[in-house]
Amino acid sequence: MRLEPYLEFAKKAFAREATYRMEVLTEIGALVLRVYILRSLWTALYAQNAAPINLPLHGMITYATVAMLMSLVLEVDGTRLIREKIREGTIATDLMKPISLPLYFFSDGIGQTLLHALLVVPSLFCALALVHIDVPPPPTIVAFAVSFAVGYGVNFFVNFLMNSIAFWTLETFAAQLIVRWASDLLSGQIIPLTLFPGIVGRIVFGLPFAAIYSTPLLIYVGVIPSSQWAAAIALQVGWLAVFALIASAVWRAASNRIVIQGG
Amino acid sequence: MAKRRVLPIVECTKLRKVFRTPKRSPGALGALRSLFSREYEERVAVDAVSFRLEPGELVGYIGPNGAGKSTTIKMLTGILVPTSGDVRVAGLVPWRQRKENARNIGVVFGQRSQLYWDLPLIESFELLRAIYGIRKERYRQNLDEFVEILRLNDFLRTPVRQLSLGQRMRGDFAAALLHGPSIVYLDEPTIGLDVVAKESIREFIARINAERGTTVVLTTHDLADVERLCRRIVLIDRGTLIYDGDVDRIKNEYGKFRTLIVRFSEPVAGPALEGAELVASEDSTARFRFNRNLQRADLLVRQASERYRVEDVSLEEPDLESIIRRIYVEGYRSTASENDA
Repeated sequence: MRLEPYLEFAKKAFAREATYRMEVLTEIGALVLRVYILRSLWTALYAQNAAPINLPLHGMITYATVAMLMSLVLEVDGTRLIREKIREGTIATDLMKPISLPLYFFSDGIGQTLLHALLVVPSLFCALALVHIDVPPPPTIVAFAVSFAVGYGVNFFVNFLMNSIAFWTLETFAAQLIVRWASDLLSGQIIPLTLFPGIVGRIVFGLPFAAIYSTPLLIYVGVIPSSQWAAAIALQVGWLAVFALIASAVWRAASNRIVIQGG
Repeated sequence: MAKRRVLPIVECTKLRKVFRTPKRSPGALGALRSLFSREYEERVAVDAVSFRLEPGELVGYIGPNGAGKSTTIKMLTGILVPTSGDVRVAGLVPWRQRKENARNIGVVFGQRSQLYWDLPLIESFELLRAIYGIRKERYRQNLDEFVEILRLNDFLRTPVRQLSLGQRMRGDFAAALLHGPSIVYLDEPTIGLDVVAKESIREFIARINAERGTTVVLTTHDLADVERLCRRIVLIDRGTLIYDGDVDRIKNEYGKFRTLIVRFSEPVAGPALEGAELVASEDSTARFRFNRNLQRADLLVRQASERYRVEDVSLEEPDLESIIRRIYVEGYRSTASENDA
């Protein structure tokens, strides 16, 4: 298979996102504001003795800030192209090209993500100026990066599945809301999953959403010690494989459907 | 017409497509009911359509709205699976070999663009170069040629969303042909264009067909496109093929009546010609209608100049538009009987 078209798709998506410069700048502004608010919130909560297990205030602020930076990349819905193209009917034109559509969507998503990843750098400095966050030793950074990359994959497939609903219903808004709420709460983006008590805690750690934010973040702040890195990342990879399988089955059914219905 | 032994580039045999859609009962209760029990409605979009195209042909694929034209084109491009029947394009079964088939074809939709909306025109071309893996020299050569013929130079670096419809169509044509497809499907390529833009698009179609030998399937409601470009038309109505043959033949069969317009040097009261019927006469101009199968135009002209002092004559051919309109309304009949009438 030739990679060239897909590299080109990623480049075009990058350039397309870059044309909306204002949006990009407001995003950084909003992020800095959110980091500040979160710091105030957690500081107030810790003053009331709400410390989650194993996480001092400093670690908590680090967690919240890094989660915020990750969201710059993870909240890019690279596969929204699917539902847009289905609604506009332009998916028919794409099917008349000698390309694999899922790969096209994936590379377009990567292009968008890369642009947003660039935003992380200035945002990081802003965040560092505003709140002091811990920087762990290099091995932890590497484990975090690997875990983050796997989480990105899981997030991609979750979005892909959600947007693929459009093949059947055309409208995906309700499904998006549900998935969004669930993942905000259950992925560890807003509060560490270690805060969930007892049985609930065990359930949320067993859900796939934990693979997106929680695992890389808990590695970063040191709640998951180096002895458990391999197991934690292996679990993420397991989820990645499961979702990849479901997504490819759904795609097969969906593409048959377009072919039968006529786009 | 001499029969040539050439392998057809497009071959449809008894092509049939039935759409199955869930039946919806009206009202809120009906909507609720259709959530649980699904009844289906069947609609035959294309029925037993057979035709074959030879390489290098330029064919008009004509029919009223909802006749099944787009459905046929979708089956030819491989994005729709026929319910039954066979379809082959350049030896491939399009829906089974979608990606391979895609390399052989180019598609232009008048109503929809395949260009990247937010990016300059040239970047869409670059993307297509990557998609089809067009070799650098060939890409350069094709691009230069299209930029020149279609005069794309002024807006090559303009984002597509800022282009006028005429400019966008020219861009779309270049995009569809950059990889040098052997067959192109044009779906209403001149819709919404002004006369000048229409003409330049028609010229371009004629040119790629003549110079590159590209097979062209042209779907359009503008029969001026067909008259200007096609020798052959395939007519489809309510999913069935009703005519396949020369444009001239259908004109002969349907447009038996031609009109001879004679301008006299001085007003003539009640002009008359044998073998022709006076349909209008005002001042010094008269219009005569005659059956082309029974009367020759040159004989009528001679007759007129023998009887009157004639300043000028002109001949009006039946136009395709009025003929096709009649066929849509009355249906196509074989004309053997009509010739006797």
